Amino acid sequence: MAKILLVDDSSTVRDEVAGFLRKNGLDVDTAVDGKDGLAKVKTNPGVRLVVSDVNMPNMDGLTMVEKIRGELANSTVNVIMLTTESSPAMKERGKAAGVKGWIVKPFKGEAVLETFRKLAN
Amino acid sequence: MISQAAKDSFERIFFQAARTRLTTDPAHACEFVPAVSPGPAQPGVSDEVLVLTIASIHFRIVLSLQFGDDEATRDYYASQGADRTLREAAMEIGNLCCGAINQQLVEHFPDLGMSTPYALSSDCLGYLDELKPEYIAAYDVTLEYAARLRATLCVCASAPLDFTAQVADVHESAGELELF
Repeated sequence: MAKILLVDDSSTVRDEVAGFLRKNGLDVDTAVDGKDGLAKVKTNPGVRLVVSDVNMPNMDGLTMVEKIRGELANSTVNVIMLTTESSPAMKERGKAAGVKGWIVKPFKGEAVLETFRKLAN
Repeated sequence: MISQAAKDSFERIFFQAARTRLTTDPAHACEFVPAVSPGPAQPGVSDEVLVLTIASIHFRIVLSLQFGDDEATRDYYASQGADRTLREAAMEIGNLCCGAINQQLVEHFPDLGMSTPYALSSDCLGYLDELKPEYIAAYDVTLEYAARLRATLCVCASAPLDFTAQVADVHESAGELELF
């Protein structure tokens, strides 16, 4: 059962980030947008860390986090946003929703690997 | 309605974003040649154009990127993933470039919102004037002396726009985890 769920509408990002994490021994599942991500968190209680983009079709990443905390009443899963967005207002909304951290793309795997490993266990 | 300082700032911000995000390595050469937009269809470029927008209360930016449909451009971006098509790679490259522009502008305009990338028919470029842009600039961009693309930056303003951006190094904080 995957411990990390990577949510991004870009197949390029999904391949690159999930590929890096798997190569480093982490168990990763992927979702294509916030709606898909929400469904996978709901059906997979083993997910410990969600790494998500913000701007996605169907459901954006911050709405997904708000629903994970609200509708699913899941306050334990760790959430990190991985996005090109860097506005203070967006980060504040993330903080209020229970996001634990923020990474501005591009993804630099080595810089975050150990933190991801801790948050996924 | 858009001051010369603001136009120069948009150009500086775009150049910086292009140098760091349209290249696969920021050390690669990145050359800009001003082009006419909307210009005639370039031979050998894709018939699709990648479009992203950044919007604030006072203005909207439409960034369009038309990648070369040639071996050199495909080879250049193939290093991003062997099985990936140029179109798939271009979507994320464009997203990163627009994100870098957004990152610089947010220092001056905190209310910015950015779209996801859209792939449209390049025929749409002929209708950019319908948006009544206050500023439009197009560049033929060559990356590492081989890969090429046409970039068009179009700014529509709904209020006077005057700011001066000192372009910062977008690499400083990108990729680092900021824990809350």
